[in-house]
Amino acid sequence: MFKRKPNLAAGGPVTEAIEASPGLEGGAGANAPTLAADAGVLSAGARAAAGSPFNSKAEAAGLVKTADILLLASLFLITLGGYHIHAMLTMGDWDFWIDWKDRRFWPTVLPIVLVTFPAAAQAYFWESFRLPFGATFLVLGLLFGEWVNRYTNFWGWTYFPISLVWPTSLVPAALFLDIVLLLSRSFIVTAIVGAMGWGLLLYPSNWPILAPYHQATEQYGLLMSLADLIGFEYVRTSMPEYLRIVERGTMRTFGKDVVAVAAFFSGFVSILVYFWWWYVGKLFSTVAYTKEV
Amino acid sequence: MKTSVFSTLAGHAKRQAGRLWALGLAVGLAASMAGSGPADAHGEKSQAAFLRMRTLNWYDVKWSKTSLNVNEEMEITGKLHIMDAWPVAVAKPEVAFLNVGMPGPVLVREGSFLGGKFVPRSTSLELGKTYEFRVLLKARRQGRWHVHTQLSVQTGGPIIGPGQWVEIKGDMADFKNPVTLLNGEVIDLEQYKIGNIYFWHTVWFIAGVAWVFYWFRKRGFVGRYISVASGKGGELITPLERQIGAGALAATLLVVIISYALTASEFPRTIPLQAGNIRAIDALNIPESPIKVEYLRGTYKVPGRELVATYKITNTGKEPVRVGEFATATLRFLNPDVYTQKVDYPEYILAERGLSLSDNAPIAPGETKELTVKVQDARWDTERLADLAYDVDSSFAGLMFFFTPSGARYEVETGGPVIPEFLPI
Repeated sequence: MFKRKPNLAAGGPVTEAIEASPGLEGGAGANAPTLAADAGVLSAGARAAAGSPFNSKAEAAGLVKTADILLLASLFLITLGGYHIHAMLTMGDWDFWIDWKDRRFWPTVLPIVLVTFPAAAQAYFWESFRLPFGATFLVLGLLFGEWVNRYTNFWGWTYFPISLVWPTSLVPAALFLDIVLLLSRSFIVTAIVGAMGWGLLLYPSNWPILAPYHQATEQYGLLMSLADLIGFEYVRTSMPEYLRIVERGTMRTFGKDVVAVAAFFSGFVSILVYFWWWYVGKLFSTVAYTKEV
Repeated sequence: MKTSVFSTLAGHAKRQAGRLWALGLAVGLAASMAGSGPADAHGEKSQAAFLRMRTLNWYDVKWSKTSLNVNEEMEITGKLHIMDAWPVAVAKPEVAFLNVGMPGPVLVREGSFLGGKFVPRSTSLELGKTYEFRVLLKARRQGRWHVHTQLSVQTGGPIIGPGQWVEIKGDMADFKNPVTLLNGEVIDLEQYKIGNIYFWHTVWFIAGVAWVFYWFRKRGFVGRYISVASGKGGELITPLERQIGAGALAATLLVVIISYALTASEFPRTIPLQAGNIRAIDALNIPESPIKVEYLRGTYKVPGRELVATYKITNTGKEPVRVGEFATATLRFLNPDVYTQKVDYPEYILAERGLSLSDNAPIAPGETKELTVKVQDARWDTERLADLAYDVDSSFAGLMFFFTPSGARYEVETGGPVIPEFLPI
């Protein structure tokens, strides 16, 4: 079911073995291909005799380098698109608006719905390439897309101030997830420790941005946070106040310390979601669907 | 043959791929820009006619200014009658929010009040009551904007009130929005801590990009894939790289912890988001009207521009009264015999000669009169009120205004089922 590795010995155009290589600095494949000519330009006949489509090892290295960069750019755009749509449909308003970033739902909902694609990406990047940057790569794509959206649409076209519409910072949590995978080399440990950390880190890593907007102000005899005031003053015609799902729930016995409870709950559910999406990542890390292409 | 034709086409397309791509882009851009213009209204006409007529009635609405400079204030004031005829198809306004309809925050809302109470959050309104409202706005972005009142009702959706064009001069770059914090500090809400948002996002973005490129630049994808596929994946990550990873983890956690602690010390007093509805809104204390209005029957033309309704009206007051106005769905139909002076109201929803009566003589004290009221104007059609024929409940409602010679005004909610007259197509 999870068969995804091509049979490299099955007569592809490249019969040479390209060893793990030093990458862009030396170029992936910069090591001399086993059967390729050592230098110089070969004639077509000589290439055919050598079984290589390349004229030289420099050409092979250049092509691999180009393929690497194309893959990186393509994957960035593909994951950006997929993850961005998923994020907007699931986290939605909790990330769009500052007056939705509360102590209960924001730190609960976001990690749970956003751990999905990073888990799948980790399965892909780690299992196929031993690259421990799946979560960070996805989150960078998401944030890039979000910033383009927030800056051009929300601010540029609709004039909402950035203080109202900034996206949640997710890079620290993503780095945590990736480095736990790197150090543990185990997706089970990453799910348990990494996904829990993913849930726990959201609120503290965003507090330096959010805290100034939770200062208090009095408006016509009513206490409001600056976040509430920004949401009220900068009119969103299609966003009546009652749509906000904030500070609701029954965690009243925890008094003001609800963030930690919400974060732990979120981390716990993120663990379960991580397992599920790791396998989703494995399932789709296959060339089976593109075989015919 | 087919194969060769397709091959030829494919080869041609391949050779011309760059040009075709550019051509497609140009066509796409041209198509998306053609015919685009500023949005002139907020879709109020698209709302069902019965919904607009039978939910709310905004009256005495005034815009204090229609031309102002950036940073200048204006207010919209008036009365909001919650109709007794509220249709069952729409949730009652038990959770409602006084809103403003405009194309983004071109003005900031400094305050909104219902019954004199500040209502930045949702509230509850009662059917049959009338509330005074006031919305205080401050000009932010230059341009000409259509500004509406609006009441949003939970599960019922937005119900748009009358709109007025507002001209704002100046430059949004000059806009200031001072707010006094509880600790006495005055900040400019327009710009407050936006640099801080960019700073933290940039810091973490750079960290994330550095992490990805650290791993990518060393071996790329292809080389790593071949190694993993050939069973040498375990050798790809060196002990030094693990140590660097551990260091990155420690650095990440340290930055999070230290920045959190510094922020907590810089902003020691913060409050959670404020939520919860605002209750006990005072309705206007309107004395009982001496006019008793009994709706008998009504018809309207489809498509068309008139509504004809027959009423039995009894005047129990001490002065004679005349029907001066019928208001529904933000439209005002005036009796020109009563309104002899120009009325300040947006022209697109004001029919200055839109109301006529079968008998224009005043209704004397103690008199009961059967009166046929004709509401006739092109706006009945252009505002799509004739679409009542296609609504689920063919009933209308509105406020009828009666006037006495001494200047007293009585508003009475009227309405009921109406029968369409389909004109020949």
